[in-house]
Amino acid sequence: MSDKGMTIHLKIWRQARGAASGKFVDYTVKNVLAEMSFLEMLDILNEELVQKGEEAVEFDNDCREGICGTCGMVISGVAHGPYAASTTCEIRMRQFKDGDTLTVEPFRAKPFPIIKDLVVDRSAFDRIQQEGGFVTMNVGSAPDGNAFPISKEHADKAMDAAACIGCGACVAACPNASAALFVSAKISQLSWLPQGEPERGRRSLAMVAQMDDEGFGDCSNHGECEAVCPKEISIENIARMRREFVKGALKG
Amino acid sequence: MAEKGSVAWSSVGKKVITGLTGLALMGFIIAHLIGNLTLFIGPHEFVAYGEFLESILFGKFVIAFEVVMFFIFLFHIVAAVTVAWTDKRKARTEGYRYAKNAGGKSRKTLSSRSMIVTGILIAIFVVGHIYLFKISPSKENLYATVADAFTGLSFTIFTVVVMIMLGLHLRHGFWSAFQSLGWANDKYLPVLTRVALVFALLMAVGFLVIPVFMHFTGDPSFTMPGGH
Amino acid sequence: MADTKILDPKIPAGPLAEKWDLHEKENPLVAPGKNRREKTVIVVGTGLAGGGAAATLGELGYKVLNFCIQDTPRRAHSVAAQGGINASKNYQNDGDSVYRLFYDTIKGGDYRSREANTYRLAQLSMGIIDQSVAMGVPFAREYGGTLANRSFGGVQVSRTFYARGQTGQQLLLGVYSALSRQVAAGTVEMFPRHEMLDLVVVDGRARGIIARELLTGEIKRYSADAVVLATGGYSSVFYLSTNAVNSNATAVWRAHRRGAYFANPCYTQIHPTCIPQLGDYQSKLTLMSESLRNDGRVWVPKKAGDTRRPNDIPESERDYYLERRYPAFGNLVPRDIAARAAKVECDAGKSAYFSDRAVYLDFAEAIGRLGKDVVADRYGNLFDMYKEIIGDDPYQTPMMIYPAPHYTMGGLWVDYNLQSTIEGLFVAGEANFSDHGANRLGASALMQGLADGYFIVPRVVASYLAGAKLKPIGADGDAFKAAEDDTRKYLQRLLSIKGSRTVRDIHWELGRTMWDKVGMSRNAEGLKDAISTIGKLRGEFWNKLKITGSDQDLNKQLEQANRLSDYLELGELMARDALSREESCGGHFRDEFKTEDGEARRDDAHFAYVAAWEYTGADREPAMHKEDLVFDNVEMKTRSYK
Repeated sequence: MSDKGMTIHLKIWRQARGAASGKFVDYTVKNVLAEMSFLEMLDILNEELVQKGEEAVEFDNDCREGICGTCGMVISGVAHGPYAASTTCEIRMRQFKDGDTLTVEPFRAKPFPIIKDLVVDRSAFDRIQQEGGFVTMNVGSAPDGNAFPISKEHADKAMDAAACIGCGACVAACPNASAALFVSAKISQLSWLPQGEPERGRRSLAMVAQMDDEGFGDCSNHGECEAVCPKEISIENIARMRREFVKGALKG
Repeated sequence: MAEKGSVAWSSVGKKVITGLTGLALMGFIIAHLIGNLTLFIGPHEFVAYGEFLESILFGKFVIAFEVVMFFIFLFHIVAAVTVAWTDKRKARTEGYRYAKNAGGKSRKTLSSRSMIVTGILIAIFVVGHIYLFKISPSKENLYATVADAFTGLSFTIFTVVVMIMLGLHLRHGFWSAFQSLGWANDKYLPVLTRVALVFALLMAVGFLVIPVFMHFTGDPSFTMPGGH
Repeated sequence: MADTKILDPKIPAGPLAEKWDLHEKENPLVAPGKNRREKTVIVVGTGLAGGGAAATLGELGYKVLNFCIQDTPRRAHSVAAQGGINASKNYQNDGDSVYRLFYDTIKGGDYRSREANTYRLAQLSMGIIDQSVAMGVPFAREYGGTLANRSFGGVQVSRTFYARGQTGQQLLLGVYSALSRQVAAGTVEMFPRHEMLDLVVVDGRARGIIARELLTGEIKRYSADAVVLATGGYSSVFYLSTNAVNSNATAVWRAHRRGAYFANPCYTQIHPTCIPQLGDYQSKLTLMSESLRNDGRVWVPKKAGDTRRPNDIPESERDYYLERRYPAFGNLVPRDIAARAAKVECDAGKSAYFSDRAVYLDFAEAIGRLGKDVVADRYGNLFDMYKEIIGDDPYQTPMMIYPAPHYTMGGLWVDYNLQSTIEGLFVAGEANFSDHGANRLGASALMQGLADGYFIVPRVVASYLAGAKLKPIGADGDAFKAAEDDTRKYLQRLLSIKGSRTVRDIHWELGRTMWDKVGMSRNAEGLKDAISTIGKLRGEFWNKLKITGSDQDLNKQLEQANRLSDYLELGELMARDALSREESCGGHFRDEFKTEDGEARRDDAHFAYVAAWEYTGADREPAMHKEDLVFDNVEMKTRSYK
């Protein structure tokens, strides 16, 4: 609703597919409105680039309402940008001032190889999930939904953890590039529910082992992950994952 | 689901080791500080306290204790260096060109970021400390040795600085140990971090007043009556 | 359209309540073990329907190839559904039953859906809840530990299960976890970042697909014994919609070009509570949960062209038009009614100060009645989101909302077995047309996706595989080779145009035409105009498109251009379908067919049928075929919410 647009200077990481590294390229976008989303501002840039015959900046995005977990970039040094509890697509340009210079980098971690420009490969998360992020049961064998009473407190705790969208910002923000928050959210969710009980020990050991195999770093309890998490997943889940892990290890 | 690497040396295992050994080391420094405070009662009491420790189990206790402490230190250091140095470097080979702290709910502080530096400084200090006061004492009793060590201003200042480093280390290390062992949740975490601040301050101040006190009041020529 | 065929939906005989069970008894089966392992099924899409089907077929022991355009199956657009999922559990003891859920769905769909399918959906709804709970979906609970329910628009019982405002996400993560288990077990092979660009038909049966690996641009062939499409809806034909920016109709449209009929394309759902459009730069519209209408009151100024700020307009000069026109349901009328009512007011010049396409949703009364804390507890997240986007605080100033394209009831025509007009091609979820008629009730999309995915597709595909006596084929045959070559040429043609208009530019223009002429209300003149405008725009697209980059690389411009090329044909078909349906029903409202007080006027005597369109070639008029809708179990009434 602002009448006058802002001018925003961007330093965007450009990296060709298959290249070992890339570099920052400077761009300027004019007539940026406060109510535009950050990605809409990049859309405008891309329109201009295509009109000039240049290749558009590639960035992953899909739902543009903060739930699919597809988008993600580091804006001026912070994963998902300066507004807490938001994904990149939820950032509005009202967070910035006329004349600002913003740096835009991909999520960086060895297990998240850069594919092109700001697009990274997060398939490591899928492989971790495949090691135990499920309840082993086939369609058809479920008892009535009310067969297991689950206290509201436990259901709420499970939901807090289950809210994870798998965007990878926790890894991107972690000084050690650890995936502890992501992995713990799934382990923690299932540990609050009776359905997850039979596979508890096995699940935590297997998912942690896969997380390590993928080459993620170890968690040093800095808590940067929680600060950038769009769904505000608490690091209490990391503590819970460790408890589950120790229990699993001791039971063999 | 094959076993992949060792459970104890997994990313979580290493944190559990760091946390357990950290708690043990914190227990040790609490006892150490209480023992040291006998200095404020007087030289005789301090020396007697040292002799008492040496006498437990006919002197075998101290040796056994030292061996155990050595391994606790060793595991703490190796696990922590792997977490915060080698694994960390492997996990992000190309770093950010522009990075800043997220702020908000982050618990990243000067203290958490400097764990590896403060830890290494403390480790070096501990080696020197043992050499100076244990392996090669400059005087015939512990009080005189301590007093002798802190006559010089530069060593005193160095020790004070290291104790501030210890405080920084504990500021993060205290609550982090509980978090690493899984003994934390949203209710206890804020309490633990506040207790960590108080604990770190108490330990740092407790330990740094000793060199300052000894620098100004210590008597390197003190001898125990009865000929030690 | 001389050769109109009457399509047979292959509804099993027997009483309505027993059809599915009887049908299952008769269906042939494939023995477990080797026989199943040797059958390959391609599933395109990993949302509730596609992912659910892939995982379940995997559990049964079939070899499944599962494709999605996202980087991981967990991001399929089912993830974005907010409100909940219906099931006729009657846990609240308020008189719910399978029949009532069936009846509500038929009535909500304005008597344009197939009885047998809708009844089966209501029957299977209960098993979905059980299944999801057992997989660890953290549904909301009461303090006693039992499942909680909420009510939703258009019905009189409380049957909606929910997980905060993220029900779709949680159900999808349940599907994703089942899928992950099957990937680990080796039964399902995942192909993320792969887009289906053609269907391969051999001897009249669907036997494979051509897919493009989006990262490298490589075009690949995949063969199978059956193909399941679960690729979602086509709301993005409007450019601005609540759908994800990558949601597209390419898979279903390419199957349509290969012979699958497209049913009821004009049935689109416009969701009443979205944040109004802010400007031309916009990429999508943001849905504000329908639950807001439980406590918010919708109004416009009584005076046309009133540009005062809402708080400056006294109570006596406000028109709470939903409460005035529909006293029985008030602000909780079904989506199609609420959406159209907003348009009527705005067309008469009565709108919010901000835009001539916005009405107010006011919480002042609720804040007064419940207190700010209760309102914040219920809607706090939505209010924060609104404030961040618009810059106004909804606690102080009434919210502004406007309808936006949200869901498409139309889709590929399928029979009772979810099989399309191509043998061996099954269609599930939003991509098919069958269960919602002309309007979908809230919290029913998730139900249909999972009913199709977990329960129906695995059975009907199995019985097809058992009965079809298919010869094994590889992907080396002529049909595969030709389809691959065509696909490659098609993409290269897009890159070679080198004109002056970007994909976004042309899509935006298509969207504006669709919204103005084939949107919330339609008329013959506008629809004819749309058909000619879209035809011209298609020509413009193939002559003036400008995209950069290569087809051998990750190139989202190329992906979007390819999808737009299909929308430029589908949009026209929607207009033709809307033109041919000379009545108003559900989401399809024709200005010429309304009652004296402006309500929809259905014509059951002439239009109680499904229009299934056959593709006859590019730039040629499609042929319409019909499936007659027979209502043996419900009486067709005029919907009234007054």
